[in-house]
Amino acid sequence: MVKKKVAKVLAFRYMILAGILVILAGGLVLLPKHEKHEGIKTAQLLSNVISPERYMTTDILADKLINQDPSYLLIDVRDEESYNKYTLPNAINIPLAKLLDEDSEMYLNQGQYDIVLFSNDNFYADQAWILCNRLNYKNLHVLKGGVNEWFNTIINPLKPTESMPTKAFELYTFRKAASMYFGVAYPEQFKAIAKKAPPRPKKVITVKKKKKAPAEGGC
Amino acid sequence: MGPLIPNGVIPADWDSIIAILIGIVFGFVLESSGFSSSRKLAGIFYGYDFAVLKVFFTAALVSLIGMYYMDYLGYVDVSQMYVHPTYLWGAIIGGIIMGAGFVAGGFCPGTSLCAVAIGKIDAIVYVVGIMIGVFIFSELFFLFQPLYEGSYLGNITVEDSLGVNPYWFIFTITIIAIISFAVSDIIRKRNKKIFY
Repeated sequence: MVKKKVAKVLAFRYMILAGILVILAGGLVLLPKHEKHEGIKTAQLLSNVISPERYMTTDILADKLINQDPSYLLIDVRDEESYNKYTLPNAINIPLAKLLDEDSEMYLNQGQYDIVLFSNDNFYADQAWILCNRLNYKNLHVLKGGVNEWFNTIINPLKPTESMPTKAFELYTFRKAASMYFGVAYPEQFKAIAKKAPPRPKKVITVKKKKKAPAEGGC
Repeated sequence: MGPLIPNGVIPADWDSIIAILIGIVFGFVLESSGFSSSRKLAGIFYGYDFAVLKVFFTAALVSLIGMYYMDYLGYVDVSQMYVHPTYLWGAIIGGIIMGAGFVAGGFCPGTSLCAVAIGKIDAIVYVVGIMIGVFIFSELFFLFQPLYEGSYLGNITVEDSLGVNPYWFIFTITIIAIISFAVSDIIRKRNKKIFY
């Protein structure tokens, strides 16, 4: 009896298999679609956002620039106008709006360079950092304080008052030297040059020509 | 998580070993389903055996549906799958040549090697023919090069080029497959049974 029943079912085996295929394929069509999450997981992104590890101080950046570290790539995320007015040396301009373009991807999504994003403050740079970090791009940093901080610390460093610790003076010396490297002129420099300026009167060393001794009569 | 090798779950160095293992299993399945017989393979052209159509179409459908379910559940990322690049005219002309060879010889390259493994003389001749063909192609490559490298369309899929929804496409293909299976069965029943 059982065998007969099984045989009866098996007579329709191809129909059943075809039915399974259709149901499975139809299932794909009918399943509710959900937006796929691109890039890293949300929890990971959140913990990255909270972490201040991404920030790089202007002093460190100045040090890298002066030592001409080739592994750093500076990216200016401000608009083109600001970029043309002033930017950090050798920076590339990728405005925030063009950040996810295909042309920008080859700069941002790579493992060779350490990328430093900066804007006027670190506000837009942070936004750019979040977008890129979500796509799991590597080696991204944000310049803390951006161009403004760069100007306040490196280009125009504040002179420490006498009551401040030695470290502040050391930092000031470093920043001052750095600003000189980036083309800021200090009055002392001119004084130094000014001192040099009046050429010392050349010592005139008069060399007396040996007068030929008149031939004297010998013996 | 998947695909396993691009995501580093399996190191890329294992490529060749995995390929050999899959190749052995594939060859075994081909042989055990009778695909090392040129009469069975050629049957599709004469209408007395549609095993080739059924097996390959079913295999494609099962993997396609399975892959998209795994993608839906997040085990595999379909967008990371390797898509073979399309050289349009090269593929069309190559396909015609291969089809002609298939009808004439009764093997496709994979099944011919299977048949060589079980010692079929026609398959040995066929493989020698393949080798001669490869030799001629390589020697005259400068003539074929424009065709071989021309009309390059990139790694496109039907989804990209026609802009259709992949799920509906899979469903349509499934229906087409089942209709073709049914039709092929009707044709086979009308034809005289051939013993082979």
